[in-house]
Amino acid sequence: MNENLLKGYNNHDHIWDEMFDSADIRAAYKNFVSAIEDLSSEQMNHKDELAKKLFMSQGITFTVYSSGEGIEKIFPFDIIPRIIKADEWNHIEIGIKQRLKALNIFLKDIYHQQFIIKDGIIPGKLIYSCPNFLREMMNVDVPFDIYTHIAGIDLIRDDKGEFYVLEDNLRTPSGVSYMLENRGITYRIFPDLLPRNNVRRVKEYPDLLLKNLMMLANSKTNYPTVVLLSPGIYNSAYFEHTSLARLMGIELVEGSDLVVDNHFVYMKTTKGLKQVDVIYRRVDDEFLDPLVFRSDSILGVSGIYSAYRKGNVAIVNAMGNGVADDKAVYTYVPDMIKYYLNEEPILKNVPTYQLEVPEYRKMVFEKIKEMVIKRTNESGGYGMLIGNAATDQQIEDFKIAIEADPRNFIAQPIINLSSAPCYINGCFRPRRVDLRPFALYGPDGIDIVPGGLTRVALKEGSLVVNSSQGGGSKDTWVLG
Amino acid sequence: MLSRVANSICWIARYMERTNGMLRLLRTNYISSQDEVADFSWHSVLRLYSDLPSSQTEQIKNNSSKVLDHLILDTNNTASVCNNIYRSRENARAAQDHITKEVWQCLNDYHHLVRDQQIHNQIRYGEPLTPMDALIQHGMLYYGTVDSTMARGEGFNYLNVGKFLERAILSADMLNIKLAELNADAARPPDSIEWRYLLYSLSGYELYLKTYQGKFETKNVVAQVLYDNNFPHSVLYCLQQLTRYFERLKEESLPDSYAEVEFLIGKTTNHVKYSNIENAGEKAQQYFLNEVRRELFQIANAFNQYYFGNP
Repeated sequence: MNENLLKGYNNHDHIWDEMFDSADIRAAYKNFVSAIEDLSSEQMNHKDELAKKLFMSQGITFTVYSSGEGIEKIFPFDIIPRIIKADEWNHIEIGIKQRLKALNIFLKDIYHQQFIIKDGIIPGKLIYSCPNFLREMMNVDVPFDIYTHIAGIDLIRDDKGEFYVLEDNLRTPSGVSYMLENRGITYRIFPDLLPRNNVRRVKEYPDLLLKNLMMLANSKTNYPTVVLLSPGIYNSAYFEHTSLARLMGIELVEGSDLVVDNHFVYMKTTKGLKQVDVIYRRVDDEFLDPLVFRSDSILGVSGIYSAYRKGNVAIVNAMGNGVADDKAVYTYVPDMIKYYLNEEPILKNVPTYQLEVPEYRKMVFEKIKEMVIKRTNESGGYGMLIGNAATDQQIEDFKIAIEADPRNFIAQPIINLSSAPCYINGCFRPRRVDLRPFALYGPDGIDIVPGGLTRVALKEGSLVVNSSQGGGSKDTWVLG
Repeated sequence: MLSRVANSICWIARYMERTNGMLRLLRTNYISSQDEVADFSWHSVLRLYSDLPSSQTEQIKNNSSKVLDHLILDTNNTASVCNNIYRSRENARAAQDHITKEVWQCLNDYHHLVRDQQIHNQIRYGEPLTPMDALIQHGMLYYGTVDSTMARGEGFNYLNVGKFLERAILSADMLNIKLAELNADAARPPDSIEWRYLLYSLSGYELYLKTYQGKFETKNVVAQVLYDNNFPHSVLYCLQQLTRYFERLKEESLPDSYAEVEFLIGKTTNHVKYSNIENAGEKAQQYFLNEVRRELFQIANAFNQYYFGNP
């Protein structure tokens, strides 16, 4: 056994470790550890380098365009997989399905009769003050009443190993291509280990997505034209757009490739205009139609909103979903589940305090060192303050900003994310992780491929897993 | 196929063809710079592939490694090899769902290769033929990958349209420049060595030896570079291939657009085919080559207008 590999793996008592149970290796990891524990440091380093090389040569990179020509970066990848047991996964799966069902009904309700406001479950003020609530979506009927076709639900684990929902991403969640690519890399660096561990497959994802997209146009034509709308090569997720388009065999378009005529959407081809039936868009709401939303947008298509409203084109995800993944509305998701489904929530929310409420504000300010403060409409790890890591000056700045506009802030107690082993400098080191499974909501129901994107905070002690803040990712194994 | 994507695909091929032509030209020039007794000057190459002001080209024109550094590796030089590869790859990124994964990876690897530190060091401080050969070889890998992985559909046809259009322009240009050089220096007899280097650059030297039994005459070189049907870099061969791949696009074209472009390609092909310019004087040859060049650009513009939606 390579003594150095596991030596000094210091997991803390108050943090749930994915691999270690106090001193022993958890059952899910036993097979994996026994397969690699005899490898020498050279062999492990070789695997680490091979992974980097594979990412680079396959062009699985994102480009930072700071000085003219872009700089290629790879999304940091840790070679040690994160392993999830079958029963844990079942719990996650039914929990996400329940939550997504409720959120989808909520969107339909909020953009139609608004029973949930009339029954006093959610204050109307909270909805109307949400910057992502789109009045333009009121009374728009969407195909099959589905809004959240693709959702990425961020999960974390507390010190007892219980899963919590940290965030719902219902607009244009990204990262699924890394789920697929990470698996492709693991095949290469750990031959035979996947079948031997009975790891469930993730590669059905593009097929499931394409099937759902095709069905959205089913009433109109037997051979619908489905396209993926990307902001273009300068977008940091462009790699994902191309790889999904390729895996589904659909056309990758940009706003300037599309044109609307008489409320129908067409794409400009070498053979003239061709009608488009379904658009999987990776462009945000506000950029989608310069005639209705931001007039300075060149990423969108003029007139696409009216085509959508008339039902001449299906857009995935629906517009206006931002109201459901707003961080203040998040507080009410357990209530939504009870109200719409008459069920107890299976996955818990992280306790969340809306700072609009004066008592909460007072309490949070007193215990600010134990709190995370987040802006309600931002993501990517931006616009947030972690109490125990912030300077006094930062805290003061946040307090001033909160007093000025309390609706746009929430506070949550700092949750100690679980840790998982990462291969760093020749040995295993615990680093904090979260999990983003991807759920596909189609006319036939909700599918979740067994797996997801495990994001990891590669800086020691850091709790921020976002790639924009020094985070990386791992392959995620769900055992069968 | 989307007009934008067709445009990108065409430019992938054009930039790759340009890269290949340029590397071969630089390689031949480097060898001739080592061969010649007199001071070799990179002047005409620099004029073609550099946007430096003439005061600066004067400074480096006799320093081979500086010139190669500038023409191959300098990212500030718009026409440099590394920028051509970069642009080819950026176009490939924008058309990734219409080229095969293998072609994309090949271009991506090429991009990383030309940025490789070892290649840089060798060109700057060492013997530059080895890295140039490595780059040329990777270019060959690209041709092979396209040929053996791409489906014979629209994408493949546009790649070939771009390739042969660019190659025709390159061959006409190189011949034109060589004629101008020889014309400018009336005192110098048309030296067989000059023609040898041109043929090397166009990968046509061995064919020439076999065809003309080693007799280097202007009219034979002009005949091969313009008309030889067995020479894959001759202008006529390129135009015939262009016609061939363009005709395959007929099904995927609007009838009016097809007619417009077909007319121009046909006109240019016939203009070259029935010109018989090899026996004319050098001035007339240069005039003719300039005309052909203009017609080739017209074809490119017609594609832009009728197929790529850039009126």
